[in-house]
Amino acid sequence: MELLRATVPGLGIVKGMALTLRRFFEPKATVMYPEMPPDIATKFRGRLQLLYDENGSLKCETCFQCAQACPIECIDMGGMDTKGRFHVHWGPPETYGERREESAMRRSGRTVPDQAYEHFASFDLDTVDEILEGYDHDPKHMLQILEATQAAFGYLPVAAIKRISERTGAWYAMVYGTATFYGHLRFEPPTAGGGPVGVAARRPSDDGYVTALGASLGGGSAAGGADSAARPPRSPKKGRVQ
Amino acid sequence: MSAILQTPKDWPSVLLARAGAKDPGNIDEAVQSGAFDGLRRAIRELGPEGTTAAVEAAGLRGRGGAGHPTAAKWRTAAGTEARERFVVANGYGADPAASTDRTLIEADPYAVIEGATIAAFAAGAEQVFLSVRATDTTAVTRLQAAVDAASSRNFIGDDVLGSGRRIEVEVRPVQGAYMLGEETVLLKALDGKRGQPEQRPPHPATRGFRNAPTVVQNVQTLAAVPAILTGRKGAAGTILVDLRGHERSGVAEVPLGTPLRDIVELGGKPAAGRKLKAVVVGGPTGGILPPDQLDTAYSYEDLRAVGAHIGSGSVIVADDRACVVDLARLLTRYAADEACGKTIPCRIGVRRLAEIGERLSTGTSRGGDLGLLEDLAADVVGSALCDHERLATLPMMSGLRYFRDEVDAHYLRGDCPAGVCRTVRLATDRAPVGAPA
Ligand SMILES: Cc1cc2nc3c(=O)[nH]c(=O)nc-3n(C[C@H](O)[C@H](O)[C@H](O)COP(=O)(O)O)c2cc1C
Ligand code: SF4
Ligand code: FES
Repeated sequence: MELLRATVPGLGIVKGMALTLRRFFEPKATVMYPEMPPDIATKFRGRLQLLYDENGSLKCETCFQCAQACPIECIDMGGMDTKGRFHVHWGPPETYGERREESAMRRSGRTVPDQAYEHFASFDLDTVDEILEGYDHDPKHMLQILEATQAAFGYLPVAAIKRISERTGAWYAMVYGTATFYGHLRFEPPTAGGGPVGVAARRPSDDGYVTALGASLGGGSAAGGADSAARPPRSPKKGRVQ
Repeated sequence: MSAILQTPKDWPSVLLARAGAKDPGNIDEAVQSGAFDGLRRAIRELGPEGTTAAVEAAGLRGRGGAGHPTAAKWRTAAGTEARERFVVANGYGADPAASTDRTLIEADPYAVIEGATIAAFAAGAEQVFLSVRATDTTAVTRLQAAVDAASSRNFIGDDVLGSGRRIEVEVRPVQGAYMLGEETVLLKALDGKRGQPEQRPPHPATRGFRNAPTVVQNVQTLAAVPAILTGRKGAAGTILVDLRGHERSGVAEVPLGTPLRDIVELGGKPAAGRKLKAVVVGGPTGGILPPDQLDTAYSYEDLRAVGAHIGSGSVIVADDRACVVDLARLLTRYAADEACGKTIPCRIGVRRLAEIGERLSTGTSRGGDLGLLEDLAADVVGSALCDHERLATLPMMSGLRYFRDEVDAHYLRGDCPAGVCRTVRLATDRAPVGAPA
């Protein structure tokens, strides 16, 4: 056999051609895209769908990673973030076509009519524009811009966040992500009860954690040791040493 | 400032040596008791490399939790080609239930400033940021006042001690979530960006703040440096612990390697008729250790070997009124809520771990939950981007390792022996917990 293969010239070509011929008469699986578009319903927009896990809870954790990753910003979302804060979503539904056009227009500097957004538009956006002007629309000053906006409105209205995103060119998800990370920034007006406002505001989970820890220990260890509501009040003498 | 706990006479006092001062902000008193002597020696005698070598010879390691060798970071930063370099003192104190770093800053702001200036000198940095938690207002104001005073004496500023070296020190109050304590997140926060950790390498010492070599160092690490340079005994060997003890709570300076038992004893004895059940070592991602592990040395390696870690320096005792499952559930829930969302195993995996804990403590466990717990924890650890997820599994895993009987009571019978969890009993032949007989 070895000898045969070595001595008959062209045997390999014949074998190769045999395969070609066989495939030639087999049914074809090639899709002739884009000459022949696939048969898809006209309204299909490649809609995103959030999945539920086997316990019936949404698998999406509102982490915004997908929104941040999407190059044409077609994704936005609403819901509770991991800090238990509610974020109202402003965009039209996560529909590929609509958002693509809007993004394109926005990038070319035109104003974009946006019905969902008009719902929030009763804000005085001139104030936001002035703040943005003051920081030269520079996304590198995002924290300062957000702080100034909160100082003006008492919180960060959705419309203001959107405006900041538009004017600085920073992704909405990035602006929102920055805003959620800093404990002193808020998304809802301060409560009438007059809880801590602005820079003095503590993230609720800190005290909540310390209190819960104390409760879980069931009095088995002395209160305090920490930073907390659970700490015994300072003696006036100590409090004076500022 | 939290109470400072009395420690045995033979334990060295390095970090809190000046803690008794009437006015910690008084620069004259501080200088009289030796502040800035270390800086003077570094500049006049040792030079940058000599300073790094002295810190290396002392064997100083980071107090921020992971215990990286300090001198190695300085050397890397100094040896990396760059136009500018930075030193960042991490005084954020991420754990809301521990106040070691804040206590140090309030007790001796000059030690932190001096240590950071020496680090900048050795690493070739001109800019130092002292980051403090913005809500710790006493620490912020005291540190700012100390920086002003030190700068008026030329200990820092344009011409440090007449050497011609420029080292600017700036206090930067920061606030955000738990993750802000992590070094790469802190660097982002100083730049006003969204806080999510970065892949390492490159480590901040090569590429950190604004892409320049940056030495990030816990404030305790820095405060130990002047003491090392002035030759104080045991200067590289102590660490601050935030003890929540049976009778007393507060911050204590302990030598690394002290048996856990001695630390627990600083907090007094259990209440009458009670006994010690567990010690949570390391903060929200700490390990839950049983009494028979009390001989473990309080050191980086020994604690990791038993499934805990130094972490925030928090040591919390629990007597038999506490339920380990409930504790583990609580800690894991906090760790899950604080995850930054960047890595999927962290964002979702730690959450699922917390849910397993919650199912255990409500008596709604599903078959296979404990196996799932172990598998999932291994996956989360294995695919971690930052240390948070590597550590977030410790409360549940140490609970499972040391308190198997208690976990099984919850898992198999929906029963909480300590009577803390309000479980729904699974077995139909028993009355639900708390139901009238
Ligand atoms: C979730 C997390 C939180 C952290 N929190 C702190 C903190 O509050 N303070 C701190 O000094 N280090 C903290 N670290 C450790 C830092 O990332 C870093 O290792 C340390 O500041 C380096 O200083 P050192 O070498 O002097 O320890 C944290 C790490 C992680 C993963
Ligand atoms: S927000 Fe995060 S969890 Fe939700 S769909 Fe996007 S990437 Fe997934
Ligand atoms: S907590 Fe976000 S990557 Fe670890």
